[in-house]
This record gives sequence, structure tokens and C-alpha cells, in this order.
Amino acid sequence: MKRLHARYPFLEGAREAVATEAVDLATIVEQDGAVVDRARERVLSSLEDGETGEPSRDSRVELLSYPVARVLVSLVAERMLIRKYARAEAEAAFDRFTADFTDTTELKSVESSGVDLEDLLAEFDLVDAVHPIGDVDDPDGYRIDVGAYLPLSSDLWGDEWLLVNRALADGRVPISEAELLTLVREAVRERVEDGLPFDVPESIAESLEPEAQAVREVLADLDLTREIDTVVPDLFPPCMKALLDDIQKGEHLPHHSRFAITSFLTSIGMETDEIVDLYRVNSSFGEEMTRYQTDHIRGDTSPTDYSPPSCATMQSYGDCVNKDDLCERIPHPMAYYENRIDDADDDDLEDWREGNAEDEEADA
Amino acid sequence: MDWQSTDAIEKIVSHSSADTALEHGDTLEPVRNRPVETPCLWITRASIRKRLYARTPDCRGRMEERTRAYLRGRFRDHYRRTEITPPPSANEREWGYIPWTEGPKTTMVRHRSLLELGSIEDFLERKRPQHVYFSVGRYRDPGASSMTEKEWRTSDLVFDLDADHLPRVTLGEHSYAEMLATCKEALFRLLDFLEDDFGFEDLEIVFSGGRGYHVHVRDEAVQHLEREHRREIVDYVRGIGLDYEELIETETVAGLGRKTPTQRRHLAIDGGWGRRTHRHFMAFIDEILALEEADALERLQSFDGIGEGKARATLNAARTNREELEAGNVTVHTAVSQLAERFASMAVERDNAPIDEPVTTDTNRLIRLPGSLHGGSALETRRIDRGDLEAFDPLVDAVPETFTGHEITVTVTRGGEVELGGDIFTVPEGDQSLPEYVAMFLMARGRAEKEKE
Repeated sequence: MKRLHARYPFLEGAREAVATEAVDLATIVEQDGAVVDRARERVLSSLEDGETGEPSRDSRVELLSYPVARVLVSLVAERMLIRKYARAEAEAAFDRFTADFTDTTELKSVESSGVDLEDLLAEFDLVDAVHPIGDVDDPDGYRIDVGAYLPLSSDLWGDEWLLVNRALADGRVPISEAELLTLVREAVRERVEDGLPFDVPESIAESLEPEAQAVREVLADLDLTREIDTVVPDLFPPCMKALLDDIQKGEHLPHHSRFAITSFLTSIGMETDEIVDLYRVNSSFGEEMTRYQTDHIRGDTSPTDYSPPSCATMQSYGDCVNKDDLCERIPHPMAYYENRIDDADDDDLEDWREGNAEDEEADA
Repeated sequence: MDWQSTDAIEKIVSHSSADTALEHGDTLEPVRNRPVETPCLWITRASIRKRLYARTPDCRGRMEERTRAYLRGRFRDHYRRTEITPPPSANEREWGYIPWTEGPKTTMVRHRSLLELGSIEDFLERKRPQHVYFSVGRYRDPGASSMTEKEWRTSDLVFDLDADHLPRVTLGEHSYAEMLATCKEALFRLLDFLEDDFGFEDLEIVFSGGRGYHVHVRDEAVQHLEREHRREIVDYVRGIGLDYEELIETETVAGLGRKTPTQRRHLAIDGGWGRRTHRHFMAFIDEILALEEADALERLQSFDGIGEGKARATLNAARTNREELEAGNVTVHTAVSQLAERFASMAVERDNAPIDEPVTTDTNRLIRLPGSLHGGSALETRRIDRGDLEAFDPLVDAVPETFTGHEITVTVTRGGEVELGGDIFTVPEGDQSLPEYVAMFLMARGRAEKEKE
């Protein structure tokens, strides 16, 4: 059991195993260097290469390092860290359980360190929501209840996960086996992320301060905003140019259009204040609404940060206008802008924000 | 508990700029992520909503006190003789209402729990409000004044079809009856999605008493869904983000004999938009099969990008390979695939239900109580049995019985045609005697005043 829990430390059973270890976290953090080292590696690896590092050969150390890693993540409490950490833990679990499923050499026994699909579905309360198609022992894909599908797929990238592109019938979404495993991975990710960050008692925080500092440093070094951070309205895709134009003219845009332009602007690195300034050309643009919406899209007031809509979505809303040649070759307004920025000579790019700052100085 | 106590008044949110929205709104948008005490946000959001309603031609003017008194009195008479079935878990929901008030300023009383209201029927008889709402959400403490303190648990999944938002309706060109008829068509399309695709079983269909219909879905399986999950449902019903390529399933078919395995592409026809696309596509195929060759070719060439060659290939495929097409095989010919893709966007145009997105995604929305009277029309917010929907005529069936069978005298300030209770009344301006439900409707809409005693 110990090995099983060490390999899958997010399982309910593992949590209980930790509890029955009867040592409190404070003592471990203070005295058990091996556990703390492994916890630190879990977190740092998640930032550096999206993995959780080499497991300890000592099952006890491996198991206990998981709750300590969660404490460490909570201490730093950065949204990006939490996401990356949870994703890495889920990836590690995914690799292990897919290996377990194909590994037929080990006979299942009480002391087994492997899991099967049924165990995982039961763990995440999905047994009643997932229905095999055809032969139960060798199913030809699955159907999953839409109520379970939506939360599990909501963070997955790609149009194929959108419900609108699914053959939904009678409340069930057909999925392949590979897709089911991806959804289980998402269930793991959600489980890991759940409750993070939590409040850490002072004494534990102190003991873990050096590790927390190490995590903060790696976090600072990572360019987490790899995305474009250049604002050149002349190079915006035609759809965004048109929407920005409308706002500046003081026209009242429908919600989806406003969402499209605002999420586009946040995605190219603009801050709420800057967006407000850019919109301000006309006085009736609704500053309060812009602030609220921008903060929401940026994820400051909501758990999700929203990406701008794709070309397909823009088209379906009627926001896709003045298409040009480049539009034909790209699937997303962001791709359009990236293309244009890449093509342009860096020296020729004048960031709107710099010009704007000068104006303000001139006004002052 | 006394309604007029200071405690009650503290909970009142006043927002004069939102009068139009509130008088016509069938659902109300609560403030999220911030306590309601922050009035600026409320006003901002409400005024945005007001803009949505700005197109409404019949904005109400001031109402004379005697008219208001009459309406209030008759609302009470109606509530006295009407039995109201509250929504399930009524005590876990937030309740809100808009009293009849003087002037254009509208006051909404909200954040009430059923515990505070007492029984719904007593409350309605006592307060006879202009509008009454309950939350789609269930909370641990529904009477708390902020969403955080309320502690959200679950929410019904609700849909709002509002004639104002229908693409096929032009205000001023279409009458109230026509708008509602178009709305009902959209409702049937919506129910197709909800019943067939989503397989929902616990549905409550409601005529709002104003300009549209609501559907409350209470299936256990969707109660826990959060905002972004509900947005996926909205996008599904509206066909937003549909990508034809994603509807295509690719299957590797083992080659026979010495042949290498080949890829077979076919449309997913067992559900979703693939099934809808396929239905429209097959209807079209059968349509061209029924035509003379020359007509069929001409019909095919009416599509952009389909020339004579592709038209011939498609017609040929339809004639020789109809079963394959029926099975969703679109690899029969590139022309066929190209054509099928057109039918994906056509399916969206024809089948999508133009629901009001913010209503469905909002897990804290307040929505009009079925069985109550709509203060902007004096019509009843009516639950409709699924089996009765086909025959349901809102302008007959939502006329409250209390207001039928006798006439009253009113002064009409804005006349015109009124279609109600199965008749069309051409109402001139000035003093006249009208069936009470017509008079109530005109008074509620601000188009008539009770005559001076």
C-alpha cells in the first residue's frame, strides 16, 4: 500500500495514510531533511520542466514529500506556481497510471502498487458517469455524462474539447479511451489544486522559509509572461482594429465584442489602467465596466484568465471584419498579431504605451 | 417580521437609472464578487442593461397615483384567489421584489429569505408587488446581503428567450403577438437541444408574462456547474465555436489483401451538431434527387465554389452512393465534403436558439416567479406543461381570470391595436370602457390611466 500511495499521493487513501503516520507536519518539516528536499524538488521541477522530479526510493519520504510540497506552494502562493505545480503532479500521475494500465505482468493484489481505470474512476466519483461503448472488457470508447464532462474538460486546450464540437446525445458525450485518460488527468489536477493555497501555521512557515525563497527565485527568473508585450495598434488584426475604433468612437459594443477586444489587449500585455486609457478617447466608454471586465478577464477577480476568442468564434459573433490575406492563413487573432510583430523591424515598432507616456508628460 | 423596519430598509438597493430595465426585465443580474453595498457597480451594470432595453418602444411614463392604487388593489384580488406553487428548495433561495412606487425611481428589495417573507401566498397578498423574483441559486444563508456570505451551493440551469434579442424580430415592424410567436419557435428549437442532446428530464417551461419564455432545468447532474461550464452549454445551443473539421471522425480502415490501411473520414452523425448538419445535408440531397438533372445541377451550382464539375460529381454521388452519404461518409468525393461543410454553418443558422447568454451563465440570477403577475403587462407568468406548449397562446392563456368578465373605464393616453384574450382591439385615445384585462394591460404599460372618480 505504501508504494501505491507514494506513487499516487493525491489519493484519498494516501491522505489517510499520511494522517495515520501520526507525525505532525511541523515535526517533519523541522527534522526530516530528506522529505523537505524531495518536496522542494517536486515544486522546483514543476516550474523548471513541468515534471515532479525523480521519486525517492524510500516510499515514506516520497509519500510525505507531497503534503510538504503543498505547504511550500501555499507559502509562495502565486497563481502561476499553483497551476504549474498541479499540472506537473497530474502529468506525473498520468504517466504512471497509463503505464500501470498497459503493464499486465503484475498481478493485482492487496500489496499492488498499481491502479486500474476502475480504481481511478471510483476515486473521482466517476463510475456512474462513464459508460463503456460495446464490450465492457474491451470497450470501443466511452460515453461520459455531460455534467461530468464540462468541469473536467474546461481547462483543456483545443477546439476538439469544446462541447459544441462534440456528438452530444441523450446527455452523454462520446469520447475515446485516450480522451478519457486525459479527463482523468484533469481530475487529478483539480484534486491537487483544490484547497491551494491554504494558510500555513507560523512555525512551519519559518522552517520552510529557505525552500520558499528558492522557489520564489526560480519563479522570478522564469519569464512567465512569455507572451508578446508590445502594443502597436497599427499591427492589430482588422477585427480588433475595428472593435477598438468603435469603442473610441463611443459606440456601445455587445458584451462578446467588448470581451474580445479587452481579452486581446490583456493578452498582449496591457494593464487595466492602460486599457482604460486606450479606451478613454471617448468619455462615455464606461470606465467602471471596463475596469471590472478587464480585472475579471485578467483573472484578478476570477479564478480563470480568459484568452481572446478564435477567428471561428469571432466569425460566429459577426466580429470578423475586413479580412486580409494574413487572416486567411491564421486561426486566431493572436496569431495574426504575433505574425505582424515578428515581421516588423524591432526598431520601427513604437509601443503605444511609450507614446502615451510622453503625451502625459507633455500635458503635465 | 415587519417589512418596513430599519433592518429591511438597510437591505434596499436603490438605483434610479435602472427603471426601464427593471420594469421590463424578467431576470435580474445580481452583483458578483463584491458586496451589494457597493452601489456604483450595481448602477453601472444596471445602466448597461438599461441600454439593452433602450430599444423598447413603450418606455413607461409617470403613472397617476389612482392608477397605481387600482393596479395594486387588483393584484391583491388576484393573489387572494390564486394558488402559487413555489420552486423547489424555496427556503434556500434568495427572494426579491419591486414594490409599486411613485415616480420613475424604481426600488428593488432583495436578499430576502423565505423565512423573512413568510409564506409566498401571504407575502404576495400583503405586498402585492409589481414584480417578484427568486434566485436560480441555492445558498446556505440566502438572506445574507453579499454573495460571499450567502455561500453558494448549487444553481438551476436557466434559459431566457427574449423577443428583444431575437435576430428575426424587428421592433416596430412586428406586433407583440408576432414577436411572441417567433419566440415560441425559438423555444421549440431550444427544447430540442435540452431534451434530445442534453437529455434533461426536469424541465420547467414558463411564459415570462413579458416578452418571452424561460426554461428552468433542475436535473441533478447540472446543479453544480459553474459559470464557465454553463458558458459551454450556451455556446452549444447557439452553435458558437463550431468547427466542421471537429465534426469529422477519422477511422483507419484495414486494407483488404495487399492494400495498405486507408483513412476513412465521416461525419459524426450520432449526436451533436454533426447530426444536425447531416440532417440538413440529407434533406438537401433528397431534394436534388427529386429534381430533373438540369435543375439539380443548377441548384448545386447556386453554392459558392461549386462549379459544373463539382455539381456533377455531387449529383453522381447522390445517385449512386446515397447509402454511404446516409451513413455520414463524406469521403465519397471532395465536392461532397465541401458541400457538407456549408451545411454545418447552415445548420447553425437554422437550428440555433438565440438565448440570452448572461442569464444562463449567471449562477446567482434572480428570475421571475411563475404564477406571479408581471407588473409591466398585468399578464401572468405562466408555467406551461410540455404537452400543452404547442397549443399555448400567451395572449390568451396568460390573461389572469381575475381580470376577465367585466369592463372598466380608463383614459387611454397612447392608443393603437391591442391583441389580447383572443381579440384584436383598436383602442382610440381618450376615455372609454374596456375589458378589464385590456385596461390593466394598457395601464401597466403606461398607456392608460384609471379614469378620475
